[in-house]
Amino acid sequence: MAPLGSTRGDTDQVLIDKNLFVRTLVLNRPRQLNALSSQMISKLLELFLAYEEDSNVKLVIMKGNGRAFCSGGDVAAVVHDINRGNWKIGAKFFWEEYILNYVMATYSKPQVSILNGIVMGGGAGASVHGRFRIATENSVFAMPETALGLFPDVGASYFLSRFPGFFGEYVGLTGARLDGAEMLACGLATHFVPSARLSSLEAALHKLDSSDPAIISAVIDEYSLQPYLKDKSTYHRLDIINRCFSRRTIEEILSALEREAVKSADDWISSTIQSLQKASPTSLKISLRSIREGRVQGVGQCLIREYRMVCHVMRGEVSKDFVEGCRAILFDKDKNPKWEPSRLDQLNDSMIDQYFSRVDDEEWEDLKLPARSSYTASALAKL
Amino acid sequence: MGSPSPADQVSRRAQALAGHLRGLHTSMEPSLSPSPCLQYSPPELASPPSDFNLSDMRKLMDGHNLQDRDWLFGLMIQSKLFNPRVAGGRVFVSPDYNQSMEQQREMTMKRIHYLLDCGVFQEWLTGRGPEVEMRKFALHEVIGMYDHSLAVKLGVHYFLWGGAIQFFGTKRHHDKWLRDSENYVIKGCFAMTELGHGSNVRGIETVTTYDSKTGEFVINSPCESAQKYWIGGAANHATHTIVFSQLNINGKSEGVHAFIAQIRDTDGNICPNVRVADCGHKIGLNGVDNGRIWFDNVRIPRENLLNSVADVSPDGQYLSAIKDPDQRFAAFLAPLTSGRVTIATSAVYSSKMSLAIAIRYSLTRRAFSITPNQPEVLLLDYPSHQRRLLPLLAKTYAMSFAANYLKMIYVKRTPESNKTIHVVSSAFKAILTWHNMRTLQECREACGGQGLKTENRIGQMKGEYDVQSTFEGDNNVLMQQVSKALLAEYIAVQKRNRPFKGLGLEHMNKSCPVVPSQLTSSTLRSSQFQTDIFCLRERDLLIRFAAEMSQLQAQGLSREYALLQSYQLAEDLGRAFSDRAILQTFLDAEAAVSSGPLKSMLSLLRSMHVLIILEEDASFLRYGYLSPDNAAGIRKEVTILCSELRPHALALVSSFGIPDAFLSPIAFNWIDANSWSSVQPQQGATVPLQI
Repeated sequence: MAPLGSTRGDTDQVLIDKNLFVRTLVLNRPRQLNALSSQMISKLLELFLAYEEDSNVKLVIMKGNGRAFCSGGDVAAVVHDINRGNWKIGAKFFWEEYILNYVMATYSKPQVSILNGIVMGGGAGASVHGRFRIATENSVFAMPETALGLFPDVGASYFLSRFPGFFGEYVGLTGARLDGAEMLACGLATHFVPSARLSSLEAALHKLDSSDPAIISAVIDEYSLQPYLKDKSTYHRLDIINRCFSRRTIEEILSALEREAVKSADDWISSTIQSLQKASPTSLKISLRSIREGRVQGVGQCLIREYRMVCHVMRGEVSKDFVEGCRAILFDKDKNPKWEPSRLDQLNDSMIDQYFSRVDDEEWEDLKLPARSSYTASALAKL
Repeated sequence: MGSPSPADQVSRRAQALAGHLRGLHTSMEPSLSPSPCLQYSPPELASPPSDFNLSDMRKLMDGHNLQDRDWLFGLMIQSKLFNPRVAGGRVFVSPDYNQSMEQQREMTMKRIHYLLDCGVFQEWLTGRGPEVEMRKFALHEVIGMYDHSLAVKLGVHYFLWGGAIQFFGTKRHHDKWLRDSENYVIKGCFAMTELGHGSNVRGIETVTTYDSKTGEFVINSPCESAQKYWIGGAANHATHTIVFSQLNINGKSEGVHAFIAQIRDTDGNICPNVRVADCGHKIGLNGVDNGRIWFDNVRIPRENLLNSVADVSPDGQYLSAIKDPDQRFAAFLAPLTSGRVTIATSAVYSSKMSLAIAIRYSLTRRAFSITPNQPEVLLLDYPSHQRRLLPLLAKTYAMSFAANYLKMIYVKRTPESNKTIHVVSSAFKAILTWHNMRTLQECREACGGQGLKTENRIGQMKGEYDVQSTFEGDNNVLMQQVSKALLAEYIAVQKRNRPFKGLGLEHMNKSCPVVPSQLTSSTLRSSQFQTDIFCLRERDLLIRFAAEMSQLQAQGLSREYALLQSYQLAEDLGRAFSDRAILQTFLDAEAAVSSGPLKSMLSLLRSMHVLIILEEDASFLRYGYLSPDNAAGIRKEVTILCSELRPHALALVSSFGIPDAFLSPIAFNWIDANSWSSVQPQQGATVPLQI
């Protein structure tokens, strides 16, 4: 790879490679598994908007430096801000991140994301909305937010709800990990390319001078193969998942799973129940509702809703689980968060409703989506 | 003067062509690129962001149980059973109407079982109270947006069969039948209509007698015209039916009563002494297995009489708490009210679907340039196209509020409110379903040829929804009942010298409203004027109707015969009542919204709704409530309202909250959906997530 025109240094969190009509953006915080800092998000947004105007750019490739594509947004920084009473700094972070997600979802040029490693949370948001997502045998995908007292954001209510059946509810609520083959099966990835072939794929992509998705897809197809789902893959359990995760409420999902557990002793069912029981009750309830609403909304409306939700999460009016979850998982690492409210039945509808309402603060406003000159029709928000 | 010779014509044509080509050649020379093809541009791009909040508007329209609705939309979108198809890069769900009648019926039943397994029908029969009923209405509305057959099949089972057991039955019936019905262990149907009798239920010919020796009732279809007809569920699936029949005890007819009879065993075999035949292929609703039933001395246990209003003792004595056969009969018709409520609301959702599709299409489809070399004009930028669709949009908003009101008074019903519910549900059912059929036809035509494709839904829906003006009470008969009820109220007030109370007629107690002779735009848009002129019409027509009736009766005509003669005034009065009542529901909904863009939009829609009625209903000119000059002024105001609503058209249909997947390809990128590549086999196993 021949980096050109980039002011490269150890502090550059986003590296840029230029090859004729192709720009490759490399997320470069390997020690933090490329967690998105606010600096990175600003840089990515700036670059994406500039490339859209630049007729010499036909294709944008995204990848990560090291063993992760991107492990998520840098929520540790956000929690520090909240603890110092500065939730509005966090709000600014999410605002920019969601705008970036929206720009990617409505981008007029193809984005190819090479997901050769960990893709979690914000990392999914920075790739899934783009046109092509390449999984490899190293890919590990998860939306682990409910274990952190957060909820699947970055437009996840849009893409999770569009997985087959109710697989999205399962992935979003339990934080289950998916491998590359599963990512391809559920539509998260558009291609599966063995990592050994990545460098030749990239070399081939660098030669492209077209934004035509069919041409790009044909190039990636040449390096792709159809991976086999492992025998133990949860994707084989879509029937049970549909039966249980289609239920109307978290409580009903849990009792459906428990009924299944009675029918057959199955480790998968008990570990699924366990991960739901370990997650923040508040997170579970708002996540389910968010995914359900997202299913009938456009990506823009999903992001607007998620922005409302994340602001309420940071303000901690109903529950401070986000701060507690980050303490237990990221800082103290005792993995033993004390959720509050601690039980599902302690959460009534009006508490949940609050997460979906406007934030009662004079300076606060709803996420304002930028006007896009070229929508892709599929990404349009209708409601 | 002779016509020019063919040779002259040819040379002139050649000259003209040469001229064109020369001109074309010089003007086209700089760019030899092909003229750009039509590009699809999403309506969102050209529409300014709405100044009212779409979610808030949706909340107001749907009124209740929004999360439950979204959950159910999701259940259908995510299941292969709901026939998802990709067009233009999007998934759409709707039944395959190209399947045979038998296949459609089987799919309907499969979808019911799927929804049952998902828990959609929980508490539909075992639950009680307004909350449960509103949730049931919301879910039923969503189901109807997918497919009317599915909603009707469920409606027959839960609202008619289940409702009959709830309302006519007593504890022993509730305990025995409701839970199994809710879980579809029992599949119920509702045998009221006969070949020879539909609206006139009291004339049905099925006869039931009691055999005190065995403690059984014996049901008979004594003649061909007594065969039960149009019985939804009877042809293929139902195991049990409610039978409406004359009850003959000791040689005396006690009038119409309802019984439970089994018609199939658990394996689906028809029971002895029962004959079933199919009603055959229909113009719509082929997913519902309408059948015919004959009873040949079918014996059922005495306990199967639904005995909430009347019973027969083991030794064969007839017992009833309601002595008056008229009242007894009225009590029997109560469950039909819930049917009318669901029909009225589902008609509104059907109108919403067709308008959302037709308006989105009209914001992306162009036809004709009005100036040379300029882009062609968007359909909805034609004032005539606006005039076709936007008033129907405004009326659909009004009817949405009417439907919400109807549901509300239904679930909060008391014995005292039964009359109001009967009158209002009759009026709204008729008006809302007529409006729907008119809207569907207009939207179909507004989509041109695309409207003829089944995949675009509107055309198909015309066949699917046509039945609404007939079942659960023929619209014309219902409207006659409305004016009859109003007349009865009028006469009672006169006789007892008391003020009007109920049915919204209180305005009759006040002095007659005066409509200004000069109608300015701001007057026309004021709720005061709008209320006044609707009240004026209702008051005047009621007085005229009563006067004509008493005049005819004074001439020696019977009341019934006089009613037949006065049908014109009766029809006008029925409309007047409905329009005034619907406007009231609109004003009430508006009053509950705090000032802001949403309220202003509602007020604009209300004005359009009222003015289009003033323009279209001949009674305002016929009886002189409006002068010809005023009528002309109103017509002009309608065009102004059209142009004011035009920029909000997209936001107004988006506020209906219908998921994209429930609309149709022409509502989105219809060029992609019709591209050559869309009919080629898909290559590669990889599909993008973009749905």
